[in-house]
Amino acid sequence: MKRFKLRLGRQGFVEKVGLIVALLLIILVFSLLNENYFSWQNLQNILTAASMTGLVAIGEALLIIGGLIDLSPGSIAALSSVLAGLFISWGVPPLLVIPCVIICGLLIGFLNALGINKLKLEPFIVTLSAMSIARGLGYILCGGKPVFINNTEFSSIGSKRILGSFTLPVIMLILAMIVFSVVLSRTKFGRSIYVLGGNPYAARLAGLNPERIKVYLFMISAGLAALGGGLLASRMQSSQPSSAVGLEFEGITAAVLGGVAMSGGIGNIAGVALGVLIIQCFNTGLIMNGVQTFWQDIARGILLILALGFDYYRRKKQSERQLKRSISEMTQQET
Amino acid sequence: MENKNSNSVEFKNISKFFPGVIALNDVSFRAESGRVYAIMGENGAGKSTLLKIMNGDYTMTHGEMLLNDTPVKFQSPKEAIDAGISVIYQERQIVEHLSVAENVFLGSWKRRHGFIDYDEMNRKAQEVIDKLNLPFSPEIKVGELSIAHQQMVEIMKAYVRDAKFIAFDEPTASLTDTEIDTLFAIIERMKCEGKVIFYVSHRLAEIDMIADVIVVLKDGALVGVVEQCDTTHDELIRMMVGRDLGDIFGKLPRNDNIGDIALEVESLSGPTVYDVSFTVRKGEILGFSGLVGSGRTEVMRLIMGEDPILDGRIKVDGQEVKIRAPKDAIQNGIVMLPEDRKKQGLFSNQSVSVNLSVSILSKLLNKAGLLSPKKESQVVNDLIDQFDIRTPSADKIVGELSGGNQQKTIFARCHATDPEIIILDEPTKGIDVGAKAEFYHIIVEYARMGKAVILISSEMPELIGLADRIIVMREGRIAGVVQREEASEEALLKLAMLGIGGNTV
Repeated sequence: MKRFKLRLGRQGFVEKVGLIVALLLIILVFSLLNENYFSWQNLQNILTAASMTGLVAIGEALLIIGGLIDLSPGSIAALSSVLAGLFISWGVPPLLVIPCVIICGLLIGFLNALGINKLKLEPFIVTLSAMSIARGLGYILCGGKPVFINNTEFSSIGSKRILGSFTLPVIMLILAMIVFSVVLSRTKFGRSIYVLGGNPYAARLAGLNPERIKVYLFMISAGLAALGGGLLASRMQSSQPSSAVGLEFEGITAAVLGGVAMSGGIGNIAGVALGVLIIQCFNTGLIMNGVQTFWQDIARGILLILALGFDYYRRKKQSERQLKRSISEMTQQET
Repeated sequence: MENKNSNSVEFKNISKFFPGVIALNDVSFRAESGRVYAIMGENGAGKSTLLKIMNGDYTMTHGEMLLNDTPVKFQSPKEAIDAGISVIYQERQIVEHLSVAENVFLGSWKRRHGFIDYDEMNRKAQEVIDKLNLPFSPEIKVGELSIAHQQMVEIMKAYVRDAKFIAFDEPTASLTDTEIDTLFAIIERMKCEGKVIFYVSHRLAEIDMIADVIVVLKDGALVGVVEQCDTTHDELIRMMVGRDLGDIFGKLPRNDNIGDIALEVESLSGPTVYDVSFTVRKGEILGFSGLVGSGRTEVMRLIMGEDPILDGRIKVDGQEVKIRAPKDAIQNGIVMLPEDRKKQGLFSNQSVSVNLSVSILSKLLNKAGLLSPKKESQVVNDLIDQFDIRTPSADKIVGELSGGNQQKTIFARCHATDPEIIILDEPTKGIDVGAKAEFYHIIVEYARMGKAVILISSEMPELIGLADRIIVMREGRIAGVVQREEASEEALLKLAMLGIGGNTV
């Protein structure tokens, strides 16, 4: 029996060591700078703050592994927060508001996929349009400004602490991570995503249905963004039409940082989780040390370049070591 | 100043190691100007590695390369080019929307006052065109040229760089006979000009025509360097595969038990296919011949649901089937091994396992509906053993395997769907003699199992040796059918080029 180990997405634990080290380093540095950083309470803060980016990052990761991209999640999240307020004002039961918002999100995702499949347009173009339309729609529906949502039952959803003081957004994020990790690694659909990203043409010839996979992928991405937007509305007790600008890029950054290759076919959710954590730990650390938000943007850009550069260097070293080892093995065999 | 008419390349104990693989092992030989050195060997024998070391793509692990007795060590392809080396590859490295002259001078465009000097470039290119007797203008877009002429543009590049050491990597893979003659005339000319010429090819007939010396590699090691006039095909094949293949086709156990009609195609028309009708029976090997662009592949694309069917019907086992996408074809027991394995078949950045299981994922689910690693590993390892795919493990990235093993992987994937009708589009293109023989056995075995096999091939001996009937396509239509007994290269060519001879369906 030959050795058998699935190398889906080419990422094992070893490949992630660099990311884990980076995360620990960030935590260490900020803990030294600020005594409140390394605390249970701050972990809660970090995770809650990471929940929106995290949800979007999952969607982006799936899409990028499949060789696609979605630019609309930020706008969809903002629109969803507006819709949540609208639904409350229409008398929708508070507990049903978020499911309704998700359904709207799924619809937008479906339309995205429709444009890509039927009009044969690039995902970049279609979702760019969706980004613009969803943002505009959000502003129109709430008159261009944040609207207070006066419903305590709804606002308690996003801030209520359950399961050892974790907030619902955090629990949703963790759940989504687990679910989509299983989906990616253990389902036919998940496998199809890797294959589609690896070679869309061959995927079709091998009997897969790329159109259908794309529909699901864009629906997942938009649905997760809508969930994030709904939770945001609950947390903020308001519709926020101008929120989540650039959220999709934060998601993409986290995914790429976590080892998802822009060329498609490579990456996994564990990496994305690390990517999200690194970004948020870093961000929160900067905020706690009073760094201006503008500097945070710059710092995030530098972080991404550094992380990927380091990763490239490490992989190069690793393959060199591997080569040396196999040369010595081969020369031993000869003698 | 070195003597322009005397050049040499010497390889001294060249080795190249990759993780787990010795690509080249202590290879030494010397090549002099005025002779053509054919480099032969199976896939994975080390031919490409040798070329890549020559042109600076790879750096050697051990050993030394001497150009005109001066040791060189290239760090990049640019250094190799500057040293006078030019490798002309199978995949042409041209920019289709640029002109011939622009392509020829790519990277070193002539400039005057900071602007590109098109007049000068066109004039220089025209000089080379005249020298080589080529029938196109330097200003034409390369994309508008035939594949053969695109290759000539590659050769022109070597000329303007005044390359002294020129290597051809399977240059005739997509050329017609007359085009091959033109190419050979150019090679002869280069020979007389004192260039050192390397020629990598699988085609023995060509080696007879063009090579003076034959260098045989096997498993990365040098087997021998022989004079072309002192050797025979049998001897060369023996050297390459380490065994005597003899008459490959004569020894194949043929299937005489041909059954019912498996696939019936009725007046099928598509974008470039007109009114094509034929049948294949169970246990039959139906050959498809015709020039490139005659519509052979396009017919199969219609059957697989890759292109829209404009008119006509497809019947499987007598029942009409609707095929809108390849998955419909696969559900109806039809599967295709595509011609371009990199583009249409392989998931290069995925593991061997993912590549093998992609078409049968539904069969690998456990009770919970999740993919079962246990089932997958079983199926995948069985396929690896059955098709003798040489890989260290199932989770090896498939793009890192040799071409023959990649092709086997795709074949094994097709096999895994348990098809009744298998379409093979140029299954042995670009693979070596040994692997070809393996494929012929697999193909005949398929027919013996009662499967219907459709075999498209540009290699006529292959069609004549394997097929029970051969359909010849010409300009999108069936030009005629040749029975096994009447099949000859001449008969097939007459039909393909002139539409004369053969029978109707």
